[in-house]
Amino acid sequence: MQYAIDVRNLTKTFGDIVAIDGASFTVKEREIFGLIGPNGAGKTTALRILSTLLKPSSGTATIFGNDVVKKPEAIRESISYLPEEAGAYQNLSGYEYLSFMAGFYAEDKESQDEMLKEAELISGLGERLDDRIKGYSKGMKRRLLLARAVMMKPKLLILDEPTSGLDVVHAFHVRQVIKEYADKKGVTVLLSSHNMLEVEYLCHRVSLINEGKIIAEGSPDELTQKFSAENLEQVFMEVAKLG
Amino acid sequence: MGNLWSLVLKEIKELVRDPKILIGVILMPIIIFPVMGSAINISTSSVQRAMITASFAIYNEDEGAPTDALLEHLYRNNTVITIEANGIQDALSKYQETNASTLLWIMEGYSENVSQGLKGELKVYANLKSLSIAEAGSTDAIGGLLNYYAYFLSIANINSLLEQAGAIGEASVVRSPLSVDYQSIIKGNVIDVAPSQIVSVIMSQSVMLPIMVMVMLMFAIQMAATSIAIEKEQKTLETLMTLPVSRLTILSGKLAGSIVVAVAGAIAYMIGFGYYMTSAFSFAPELTTMSTQDLSIGLEPLGTLLLGVNIFVTLVSGLALAISLATFTDNVRSAQSLTGFLTIPIMLPAIILMFSDLSMLPKTVQMVLLVIPYTHSIIASKAAFLGNYVLVLRSIGYITLFTLVVLYIAAKIFSTERIITARFTTFDMKKLLGRRSNRER
Ligand SMILES: Nc1ncnc2c1ncn2[C@@H]1O[C@H](COP(=O)(O)OP(=O)(O)OP(=O)(O)O)[C@@H](O)[C@H]1O
Ligand SMILES: [Mg+2]
Repeated sequence: MQYAIDVRNLTKTFGDIVAIDGASFTVKEREIFGLIGPNGAGKTTALRILSTLLKPSSGTATIFGNDVVKKPEAIRESISYLPEEAGAYQNLSGYEYLSFMAGFYAEDKESQDEMLKEAELISGLGERLDDRIKGYSKGMKRRLLLARAVMMKPKLLILDEPTSGLDVVHAFHVRQVIKEYADKKGVTVLLSSHNMLEVEYLCHRVSLINEGKIIAEGSPDELTQKFSAENLEQVFMEVAKLG
Repeated sequence: MGNLWSLVLKEIKELVRDPKILIGVILMPIIIFPVMGSAINISTSSVQRAMITASFAIYNEDEGAPTDALLEHLYRNNTVITIEANGIQDALSKYQETNASTLLWIMEGYSENVSQGLKGELKVYANLKSLSIAEAGSTDAIGGLLNYYAYFLSIANINSLLEQAGAIGEASVVRSPLSVDYQSIIKGNVIDVAPSQIVSVIMSQSVMLPIMVMVMLMFAIQMAATSIAIEKEQKTLETLMTLPVSRLTILSGKLAGSIVVAVAGAIAYMIGFGYYMTSAFSFAPELTTMSTQDLSIGLEPLGTLLLGVNIFVTLVSGLALAISLATFTDNVRSAQSLTGFLTIPIMLPAIILMFSDLSMLPKTVQMVLLVIPYTHSIIASKAAFLGNYVLVLRSIGYITLFTLVVLYIAAKIFSTERIITARFTTFDMKKLLGRRSNRER
């Protein structure tokens, strides 16, 4: 069976810094997969490689069978990436931004309108979509960006810390959207987080990453059992100590 | 095609809705130039008013027919304040209490000298209260009156000398015996205009063109650099780079968007400058109405086309250069200071060629200038007016080649990860410059 994501022995260096150090993992289709680890572990770097923004220093990564180095264009057709500190064009209105983005994925006017309707719903911004993005709060912006990322129902959704900096209400909403898209609309999700509890709630499977190395992998339940811990947070502290 | 169009549209919206760009690029030239023009106009018309109402004071120490004749000439049509005083010191202090701008002192012995065929001695004091141009104008006013009087005095003298000698002749001919009519030949046609006049028109053209090209380029460069840097600063670039659009399309969208706004800026600039020219020189309309067209060295359709192509490739080259440079920075401020260095190769040829011709410069300077593509666009702008199309084509060729190389580099940078990872900040630049100046010490 073909994996949605297949990463083998991936290494990425920036000068002397080794951001990713021989990491391997696979993600099945329709799965929600979490890449979890502390600050500077290499999560963002891994997601950027998979989104074709960075090139691996060695090792391979394929998405739906397409190599990130050899076929970046094919990959860009099937993914949607939400960067961790993403922004939106300040001088466009929320609606203009969404319709600008939808234009790249929609085949015709009809499907574009469909995407926009979807995005309006997800963003929950209502009338405010007509305002310039300049005036949005952080939470409003993040929801707009999430709506942008999911509205075209990509085959693979890559989310870098989707709920970071959001309050409980906004974070809850974002998690629901992610879950709904994976469960009901057949979207594969790869996300990063250092919020272990969020990951436990959302992800079917996770990889623990520390200092660029994958130090454990499995479903949240498997991992807590294996390390006889109460939750993923304890698992992580346990594994990080060993490693 | 649809993707490119929506990228361009987004680019234009972002740029035009940015108040900084809207004000700086479009509104400023439209407002500033007319304001400058009317400011000049107000001051020139106040100079003229000062000249017309030139009032001056006269302190006369002499008597005699020549003195009376001079006084009659001066009192006619002018507001004159007569100073009664004992000696020049007294006269000067009394004069300074009046608001007359100049004092004419007719010294004792003026009439005697004039009657004996010697020079009549006069002295003019100007009281410079505000050190303004208007004051200089009113000082000139009395000078003009005196010159005029001197001319007729000399004609009268010559006439009486001629009479005494019984010779035949005209006083004005004796005074200036040659009549020279200057003609010019342009593109093989002899025209009845003095070369100095043509030169002054060409001068105004050759000053204007480099300025136009320079200003437009600077606009475009700022625009393109800003548009890349904004994407980085606002963290929109990463998303843009993962869209299913080719990087070349993204690059082209940026270029095209910047060109559209830069051209709008250039048009605003031209409209503003047009107002400036007409209002600043409204007291002398002949300065603006005489154009190269009247001198039959105007642009033919082919020339216009080539000039347009030349300016277009120049713009694209500047934009491509700016975009390539801006990718190395991560915020608007450092992008603008980095592309600020481009001012040097753009200003240098513009300023040098404004005051001289390439062939007049030393060989080494010529070589350096010819490497800079913007030298060629300025030379080509002049050449297009003179119908030297080979030169224009050469320039277009060189700039196009240069642009292709830069575009290739820009496209390369766009397709590598450098565009995401490059983090050249103002801080790095200071370090770089600081290190260099340390080494120099
Ligand atoms: N462009 C870059 N140039 C140099 N070093 C980089 C670059 N990007 C990332 N790094 C380094 O790579 C390492 C991994 O960074 P990365 O951003 O992937 O971590 P992360 O897991 O996403 O952390 P966080 O949770 O803080 O977002 C860090 O040491 C970081 O300093
Ligand atoms: Mg990160």
